[in-house]
Amino acid sequence: MREISITGGEPLTRKKTALSNKILRELNDLKRKYDNERFSLLPALYLFQREYGWLSAEALEKVGEILGVPKTTVKSVSTFYAMFRHKPMGRHLIQLCTNVSCMIMGCERLTDILKTRYGLGPNATTHDGRFSFLVMECIGVCDIAPAMVVDTDLYGNLTEDSLIGILERYE
Amino acid sequence: MITITIDGKKISFERPVTILDAARAAGIHIPTLCHHDILKPYGGCRLCLVEVEKVPKLQTACSQYVSDGMVVRTETEKVVDARRAVLEFLLINHPLDCPHCDKAGECELQDLAAKYGPAMGRFAEGKRRYPENLEDPLIVRNRERCILCLRCVRMCDDVQGASALSVTGRGSKSYIEPFSGGAYDCEYCGNCLAVCPVGAITSRTHRHGFRPWLMEKEVETVCSYCGVGCSLVLQVRNNSVVRSVPRSGLGLNRGLLCSKGRFGYDCLNYGDRLDAPLMRRNGVLERVTWTEAINCIADRMKEIKRENGSDAIAGIVSGRCTNEDAYVFQKFFRGAIGTNNIDSVAGMAYGPAQRFFEKILVQGVTANPIQGISDSDGIFVIGGDPTAINPVLGLQVRSASKKGVPVIVVGHPGGLKRYSKRAFIMNSAAETVFLAALVDEIKRRRPLPGERPVLEEIINGFRPAPLEDASKMSGFGPNDLVDTAHALSNMSRPSIIIGRDIVQTDTGHMNLLFLAALTYLLNGRIYLLSELPNEQGVLDMGCQPDMLPSGRPLTVETFRKRCEETLGIIIPPAPGLSYAEMTEAAHEGRIKALYVMGEDMVLGLPDSNYVRGALRNIEFLVVQDRFFTETAKYADVVLPALSWAEKEGSYTNLERRIQLTRKAVEGESIEEWKVISEISKTFGLHMGYRSAADIFSEIARVSQIYRELTLEGIADGKSVWPYRGGPLRYDMHTEGTKLPDIVSVMEESGMSGVHVRREAHLFHSQNASRYSPALLSITPEPHLKIGDILADRLSVKDGDRVKVSTDAGSIVLSARRDPCLPDNVVLASTFDGGGIFEITKWRVNPITKAPASDVNGVVIDKEEAITVLHKDRADSLVGG
Amino acid sequence: MNSAGNVLLRNTRCQDPACIDDYIREGGYRSLRKALSAEPGQVLDEVKKSGLRGRGGAGFPTGMKWSFAAADPQMPKYLLCNADEGEPGTFKDRVIIERNPHLLIEGMVISAYAIGAASGHIYLRGEYAKARDGLLQAIKAAYEKDFLGDDILGKGARFHLRLHLGAGAYICGEETALIESLEGRRGHPRIKPPFPVNEGFSSKPTVVNNVETLANIPYIIEIGGDAYAKIGSPECPGLKLFSVSGHVNKPGVYELPMGVTLQEIIYTHCGGIRDGRKLKGVIPGGISTPVLLPDKIDCPMDFFHLQKAGSMLGSGAVIVFDETVDMVKVCLRTAEFFEHESCGKCVPCREGIGWMRAILDRINRRDGCEADIALLAEVSRNIKGKTFCPLGESAATVVQGFVEHFMPEFEEKVGSR
Ligand SMILES: Cc1cc2nc3c(=O)[nH]c(=O)nc-3n(C[C@H](O)[C@H](O)[C@H](O)COP(=O)(O)O)c2cc1C
Ligand code: SF4
Ligand code: FES
Repeated sequence: MREISITGGEPLTRKKTALSNKILRELNDLKRKYDNERFSLLPALYLFQREYGWLSAEALEKVGEILGVPKTTVKSVSTFYAMFRHKPMGRHLIQLCTNVSCMIMGCERLTDILKTRYGLGPNATTHDGRFSFLVMECIGVCDIAPAMVVDTDLYGNLTEDSLIGILERYE
Repeated sequence: MITITIDGKKISFERPVTILDAARAAGIHIPTLCHHDILKPYGGCRLCLVEVEKVPKLQTACSQYVSDGMVVRTETEKVVDARRAVLEFLLINHPLDCPHCDKAGECELQDLAAKYGPAMGRFAEGKRRYPENLEDPLIVRNRERCILCLRCVRMCDDVQGASALSVTGRGSKSYIEPFSGGAYDCEYCGNCLAVCPVGAITSRTHRHGFRPWLMEKEVETVCSYCGVGCSLVLQVRNNSVVRSVPRSGLGLNRGLLCSKGRFGYDCLNYGDRLDAPLMRRNGVLERVTWTEAINCIADRMKEIKRENGSDAIAGIVSGRCTNEDAYVFQKFFRGAIGTNNIDSVAGMAYGPAQRFFEKILVQGVTANPIQGISDSDGIFVIGGDPTAINPVLGLQVRSASKKGVPVIVVGHPGGLKRYSKRAFIMNSAAETVFLAALVDEIKRRRPLPGERPVLEEIINGFRPAPLEDASKMSGFGPNDLVDTAHALSNMSRPSIIIGRDIVQTDTGHMNLLFLAALTYLLNGRIYLLSELPNEQGVLDMGCQPDMLPSGRPLTVETFRKRCEETLGIIIPPAPGLSYAEMTEAAHEGRIKALYVMGEDMVLGLPDSNYVRGALRNIEFLVVQDRFFTETAKYADVVLPALSWAEKEGSYTNLERRIQLTRKAVEGESIEEWKVISEISKTFGLHMGYRSAADIFSEIARVSQIYRELTLEGIADGKSVWPYRGGPLRYDMHTEGTKLPDIVSVMEESGMSGVHVRREAHLFHSQNASRYSPALLSITPEPHLKIGDILADRLSVKDGDRVKVSTDAGSIVLSARRDPCLPDNVVLASTFDGGGIFEITKWRVNPITKAPASDVNGVVIDKEEAITVLHKDRADSLVGG
Repeated sequence: MNSAGNVLLRNTRCQDPACIDDYIREGGYRSLRKALSAEPGQVLDEVKKSGLRGRGGAGFPTGMKWSFAAADPQMPKYLLCNADEGEPGTFKDRVIIERNPHLLIEGMVISAYAIGAASGHIYLRGEYAKARDGLLQAIKAAYEKDFLGDDILGKGARFHLRLHLGAGAYICGEETALIESLEGRRGHPRIKPPFPVNEGFSSKPTVVNNVETLANIPYIIEIGGDAYAKIGSPECPGLKLFSVSGHVNKPGVYELPMGVTLQEIIYTHCGGIRDGRKLKGVIPGGISTPVLLPDKIDCPMDFFHLQKAGSMLGSGAVIVFDETVDMVKVCLRTAEFFEHESCGKCVPCREGIGWMRAILDRINRRDGCEADIALLAEVSRNIKGKTFCPLGESAATVVQGFVEHFMPEFEEKVGSR
């Protein structure tokens, strides 16, 4: 087994509710970098997601207000993209690739483990809020299939045992 | 020249058109679904695929342009197979609930399926199921039926510019919804449901009540809500209007409507219509016969005329009356009663403004085509939000803005919020100072055109306030002023859009002068927003205390004499009283009898208490209306009136286009003009009209402006100012037109405290909307818009009740926070009872004679008790 | 002169790939210097001569694309780098960016100079967070050394580069959808014409090129277009990166000349099939290219020959299946992928793929019947040729390919009901 741990995916999810002034300031800075404020929409959504872990209706509305983009449009754009999350996530995010290369290299055995051992179905969160599991399309590391990203850490050449071992490190 | 061959036919075009348009020109039908003439090509449904020679793949006719020599085939086997395949895809998840669907009979998908009959039943999995969404009072969404053509969303984004509806999600999991996922937070133009080709978005107002094949007739007419005059088609069944729809080829609205035009037709069917005359006996209004009512009016008016003279009698018409009714009304007052005491709501702001601009600039200066707004190179909006007052005109402003035309707003931007670079909200005195400073700044940047020496003299002689002072007073920095002036100076043909509220204030006359100067300096085109469908018409008809139907002042003897000859009546030489003056005269007991046609004075005039007092003082009050209004409560005789859909007639819109209104249903009353001519007969003035057309032809004889027009002749909607001939000549009058010394304005009216301004409401017109359950269901009651700072200070949240008080009294309104507003200005809507007119003190501008609609120095408190107005009415009347 | 295997992947041995000094030491940015001392037209000519075709999938001649944009009089012009790399099985662009970011930057500056673009964006797949960090660092370093900026190398050339992250939408790899996304919209493809070269980003002339395409540019400038054209197959010359995954012993990215056969890739470079098993099938260019049977592994890997063999070069992502693989399941998974990634704009793609997936699901569950196979074939035929963009088209073609090549497996699944 070759286990590597390079960064990938996204920072940890965080739970905060009120929109801080800091983020509003950052957003204002961001929008100034673009000729057309609208072009900064995706980066703005990332900014909010990085801060709060997901995009609430309030966040979408705020982004729209600051960028001068209708809130309906913001929602429409953000729900188009699979990486924007519209409900709160667990403490750790398991993003397991299930596309063909990973599938033929055995990722199904891994989803089974998530189900049986952690009670975790695709695109769901464990009851204790420890893990959320997102089914991924190809994450571009097919040479180390099957692969996954937990929070920001990439793991490849996974086996049942290594998966369990890895997940035990995330509390 | 581009020549193509399509299904064997050769056809040529000057410019590239889409294959679809080319086919249409050749008389060939290509099926489409996502295509809509108003919208840009989308190419999503793939139904319009055609074969193009030398191109291996089928091409979408809606989006591909023709090129010279192109050979197109639209009915080959390959094409027909493709259509059938696409239709099958569309139907696999589309429910087959046509018998239940409101769209049945006019569903584009149903029609196509009938025509191409795809192989059915091969889709073995269950169709996607979603419950219908009924959370909105007016718009029903059915996700199962949606084919994701996005016509609704494109309409909402690209045409209406409201962006209230969008697609959520991706691919087959995407669906259409408003932000909330439930009820809409939108302008309720209903254009989304109009363009939906299937039953995915439908109106609740005729839910399960409308079947196209059961419709008995369709009548083309003009909307009666505002001064734009959109064309609409009333669909009738069982002598009742079941729906109103626009038509893409019809009228200046080209297939679009606003909330009022779309949903407000239901006031026609409002339960409490008056259907018989009422007469006050022993203090109680009782049903009487028409003869009794007419005799009573005749007797009492004659008596008052005998005892107090003709000028103790006055008449008020509504801006909703047809030209014909208004014309007959003034003829009766002038010829039978012998007074010039005639006026209308148009006399409060629209009329004075137009009069003023015509005097100082040129006649017809406000007659500009609405479509022209989107072609201007700058837009200056003041005194009202065009997207609320005249929504379809407002769309032109938005579309200009989308093209990059700068839009500058003085006042609350309302629906132009995302479309104006900057809006300047302040109190009324500050606005005057702001305008003055703009004129002064522009004058320095642009040379005077040299066309109107008198006006230039005024402009040159005017003493501006120092920029610093102007900026201090308006609350905007000197740079704001300079930048705005700079932006304006760069415009070469701006549209200047002016609403009522700039006139109905203490400094209204000065504002008009500054705006005239601005228009002159910038070579602008003026658009006067008009809140009623026929303000222009009633002015044209001579329902003004000092103007004749010919559009000429009655004080000029030659004009008067000519009019007297044509009409066969004697016209008193002295001007009568204006609307506001009549109200004052009634208050003071100088007006003994008042005839009010279609106007609800209590709700329509500022200071309702004052108005009530005036009405109480009137000895004999006649109210002719469709409903038992607040004003009717004070009447001695109440006459039922017909609605605009129940009679023939004409309306003249704000661009001075005369349009025909047709009778769609039979009403339970008699035309107003008939009633008035009956009364007139008892005075010995026989009018003898048999129809509205008769009256119109007399108008055409009397009025220089309407010369040679006929009622049939205007039916095409193309009769626009200056109709058949040039405008009338006027000499420029300069009395009363001196640019004020702005320094003194600043000293006199240093407004302090919180200032309340009127908010003209998108969903409500002056009073008709009170009787539309649909419109009430969107906004059941007036509200107060309040800025964040002030709201925070009072710890007021959205929906909290706030008490607004002045010396004149207090009212309780529900609050809406509005981040645009500064802390010294709040906005209150006035529709229906309980609006700010309850607490606006009676102030009339001596020059424009316009009653002020704003109040200064109000006190706002949070109110704990909760009262809900009209909610019940709305709930009970909207079907579910 | 570098040889195959050492051009696009050169420098990947460095400790810190973003380190500009290492890159320069190995000869980096020399081509840029060379290009800037020539006229833009000359640079463009070299690229035309090289016969380079786009490495993003469609294989459009790069020089020709550039000349369209260069000829358009509108200004400003934009250069966009397509680093969305969403095609399942593909990971070559990530390797270039992670291991050799300056090669891409150098390629972009040269390209921008040739077409007259003063600014550009790299649209990077949202999932590639690590690549993002390195690339940002590299861009910063390039600015510091005046390889980017208002006066590049003191020659008055101007190019500004910004990084933009995608957010998980395969369709955004399609160039017009990419532009929409870059402009802050849903990634729906645009109606063509107008083509991006005339009306692209911000409605201005825009060239969109794949990472690998751009990474080839410095080498073309270095050795000259004519020399480059002699590499690999005569029909489509040049170097190509192959991402190999699946049941081979040594999966990974390989830099080989165009026209190398699948046989060589699998057996010579990747060490053959895992555990000595038999080859069952191979996808040559990523999931949107139809599967090939083992009898086609002699096929040279280039745009021309693969098309003749009934598939496509696509992104050069080779996915190898050994005899244990359930091809119906692979086909189902492929359909699921396309259903998930369909943007939803056009009907055949949005509804048709879902339908194919449903039928495949049924067959895979052994719930289907024989007629389902025929229906599946017909649905895919009905999608073909009618979709707005190639995504739906590929879905149909690929499913068709699986059904055609592995019919017995499908029959077995429905027969044993
Ligand atoms: C559905 C779809 C997905 C695509 N994904 C990618 C991609 O991830 N990366 C890429 O470079 N090109 C992708 N392309 C190809 C691009 O549209 C475009 O042809 C390419 O970026 C042009 O660059 P090139 O000429 O350098 O290849 C995709 C095309 C389609 C239709
Ligand atoms: S709701 Fe109607 S208009 Fe909107 S996408 Fe669906 S079918 Fe089209
Ligand atoms: S009408 Fe052309 S694709 Fe829909």
